[in-house]
Amino acid sequence: MNGRNDVFGVSVLEFYLASVLENINLATSNDSETRPTPVEEDLWSLWGRIVINWDSECRRRRHFIRDLVRQGVPHHFRGMVWQLLAGAKASDKLYSSYIKEKSACEKMIRRDIARTYPEHEFFKKKDGLGQESLFNVMKAYSLHDREVGYCQGSGFIVGLLLMQMPEEEAFAVLVTIMQQHRMRDMFKPSMAELGLCMFQLENLVQEFLPELHYHFQSQSFATSIYASSWFLTLFTTTLSLPLACRIMDVFLSEGFEVVFKVALALLTLGKEELLSLDMENILKYLQKELPAKADANQDEFMKLVFSITVNQKKMKKLEKEYTVIKTKEQSDIAVLRCLREENRLLKQRVELQEKECSALAERLVKGQVDRAEGEEETYALEKEVQALRRANMDAQQRLAVAQDEIRSLEMTIAEKNSRQSSLEGVEKNNAKEDELARCLQRELVRARLHAAEREAAERELLERITLLENENKSLRKQRVDNNVAHLQDELIAVKLREAEANLSLKELGQRVSELSDAWKRHLQEHQQVIPPPSPVHSKVVLDIMATPKRLLRAWEGRSAETQKLEEELMSTKIREVEALTELKELRLKVMELEAQVQVSTNQLKRQDEETRLLRDSLDAALQRERALQVRQKEFQHKYSDLESKAKYDSMQANIRNMEDAQRIAELETEVSEYKMKNVMMVTEGELRINADDSERVREMQEQIAELRAEIMRLEAWKARALGRTQISRAVSLEDDLEEDDKLKLILRRESTASLDLVRKTT
Amino acid sequence: MGTREDEYDYLFKVVLIGDSGVGKSSLLSRFTRNEFNLESKSTIGVEFATRSIEVDGKTIKAQIWDTAGQERYRAITSAYYRGAVGALLVYDIAKHLSYENVERWLRELRDHADQNILIMLVGNKSDLRHLRSIPTEEAKAFAEKNGLSFIETSALDSTNVEPAFQNILTEIYRIVSQKQMREPPEGDVIRPDAEPADVRPAADSVRKQCCQ
Repeated sequence: MNGRNDVFGVSVLEFYLASVLENINLATSNDSETRPTPVEEDLWSLWGRIVINWDSECRRRRHFIRDLVRQGVPHHFRGMVWQLLAGAKASDKLYSSYIKEKSACEKMIRRDIARTYPEHEFFKKKDGLGQESLFNVMKAYSLHDREVGYCQGSGFIVGLLLMQMPEEEAFAVLVTIMQQHRMRDMFKPSMAELGLCMFQLENLVQEFLPELHYHFQSQSFATSIYASSWFLTLFTTTLSLPLACRIMDVFLSEGFEVVFKVALALLTLGKEELLSLDMENILKYLQKELPAKADANQDEFMKLVFSITVNQKKMKKLEKEYTVIKTKEQSDIAVLRCLREENRLLKQRVELQEKECSALAERLVKGQVDRAEGEEETYALEKEVQALRRANMDAQQRLAVAQDEIRSLEMTIAEKNSRQSSLEGVEKNNAKEDELARCLQRELVRARLHAAEREAAERELLERITLLENENKSLRKQRVDNNVAHLQDELIAVKLREAEANLSLKELGQRVSELSDAWKRHLQEHQQVIPPPSPVHSKVVLDIMATPKRLLRAWEGRSAETQKLEEELMSTKIREVEALTELKELRLKVMELEAQVQVSTNQLKRQDEETRLLRDSLDAALQRERALQVRQKEFQHKYSDLESKAKYDSMQANIRNMEDAQRIAELETEVSEYKMKNVMMVTEGELRINADDSERVREMQEQIAELRAEIMRLEAWKARALGRTQISRAVSLEDDLEEDDKLKLILRRESTASLDLVRKTT
Repeated sequence: MGTREDEYDYLFKVVLIGDSGVGKSSLLSRFTRNEFNLESKSTIGVEFATRSIEVDGKTIKAQIWDTAGQERYRAITSAYYRGAVGALLVYDIAKHLSYENVERWLRELRDHADQNILIMLVGNKSDLRHLRSIPTEEAKAFAEKNGLSFIETSALDSTNVEPAFQNILTEIYRIVSQKQMREPPEGDVIRPDAEPADVRPAADSVRKQCCQ
């Protein structure tokens, strides 16, 4: 390593060297046990010389010093050698100024102070010298490097330094460790370097210890789980302090690569055990048993460390790969974030649209349902309307009929009314009808009176018949009526009379025969005694009967007295017959009258019946009229109801129709809107799929390309900036490598020579 | 490998998160080893430990991941949230800032952990009664508002440490077993005597069961 050849550094080294030598002298004189062995004493004097002539020694025998460091820097020289190796330049002023300042990280640092080497004597005491100096260095660094500030883990490195040197020097060494040995990048807030180291280590493990790598993978035991602290604290939290110090020796001498070597050495050391453990136990083993194992034989372990060579080219390649992966990851993350954001927005939009869509669909469905309902309703209404129309028609027909009826009724009423007075209303009609009925009743009464009168007349007639038997003829004449019944009755009476007359004729004939018989007998008696009857008598008899000439001769032949008596007898007998005939005639007349009475009673009966019939028909007519009026009224009501209902229904139907039409129109507009929207959405979707996405992707790709270009530019720029130092370092390294062999030889020769010298002197 | 401890019915990954110095590692050591070390080192990177508990006669193995609290470590530690079914978000009842930062940690979980991760707010160092700066009620109300369970613990005197882990693990178990009952698991159930290789798939399956 390049030492800084300035006055300040040298003076500090001289001070240290002096103190170290003093310590050694003290040790040798006082304590026989700690007295250095001859080899150790050789080493110390060697280190003493090297330390004093550090710059020239460094230049002359770099590899010798490196090998020497690899064997472990003697404890007493460590503080000094580390400073030399680090090329640290302690600056009083700077550090003291930092100490006075306040840092934003103070709280954080304080929190970790007690948790750094809590078991170590020097740092154990709360607010003791160790903790205080640790805090001071940490705070100073946080002020010195504000970008890094304070990072957990760095405290352990500082603590290790403070175990070897005072605050100020420790600070100086820390600064160089941070700046020159990648550690600063490790502790930056992004901790990106740690990720790179993990990636590199993982690849190295895969290369050197493939079995272990696969075992770890199978256990999903990530490198970062176990190796993070190795890299962040340079094994100070894992290994024992002596071993950590030896690693720090080599770290300062050979650089960061050592960390990988130690890590690989540790894994190699514990490989067999590790392969048989599961994740949890791997971690335990790596934390406890493996460090103990390494500590048990430090030299062996360090040999193992040095036996490992890490291909720098490979490391570079890995770094490149990692940066590629990282940038890709980052860009991916950025893209992912963008996409996520976009996705979120799109999802929101989709959600919104879905909501809208569903709302619209719902509305559409609702609208269709409404429409269907409306159609149904209209259909029902139409049906109803038709039914109503039909009903209306029927009603109208009925109405017409009713009107006709009414008209006819009115006519009849008018007729009826016209008979009496002008019609004013149905009630009046009724009154008039009542009047009519009354009239009819009156007529009936009159008829009855007539009948009674007739009866009376008949009675009178009968009386007259009984009283005036003689007035039969006149009565008979009166009786002659036009009526057929009369004639029939008369005919019957005449027949009866004829029969009676016949009967009386027969009787008369019998009497005549009786008389003739009596006459014959008389004549027989008188023939013997009495002569034949007188001729006068015979003359009378001749008028009545065609008695034989003998009767007349007999009659003429009679005596005058007998003749006279006989004539008297004959006349009385004739009178008797006449009286009898008269009686018979009277009887006949009585019969006739009886028949007449019967006829008149019959007539009366007929008349009664007629009046009853008339009354009945009148009642029926009245009833019918009343019913008709009621029906008319009903019809009128019904008609008016129906009319109003029909009107209302038709109005409602019209309104509904209008509404439906409106609704349909609305729905149609909605549908058209949907269609429009759909088309828009489809086109939008197409656009998004076709143009939008590709455009966006193109834009993104362009952006990514731009960003990449910028990154490349930045990297180039950075590389150029860094390159200047690295290239110079590399160039010198290459030169050094060529010189290496020569130098090695020289170094060996010189070392042997010096050893000889030492021996001689002792 | 294949030891008795490896026999379990469920494996749940739980992460311990919270500001630096609130006592995450102490809670872990108290729960997994029943140890408390006043002189503990700060956690660099991540660490984890396991312990098995019994719930309803089932063995539940808790794999508890302890993470570094410093903010810049989140870049590394957030990777360990993946597959975690539970999180103990720890704050120090005596340090108000650690309580204020709870929201940031919640955001961190929301960004990197599973959507359905069960979160328990843990107010640690309840033994520091005289230094308390966050009233229990306030934290409880906050937890309720954010749908977190809440408990106050002391890793030092081991108050509530056991219940804190028991509660969250039981709750996770309830959800997972209910989920299993609802949708009979296929081949990816965590089986006892399973190869250690299944830790990840098991964790994944648990996660699946939890979040789907």
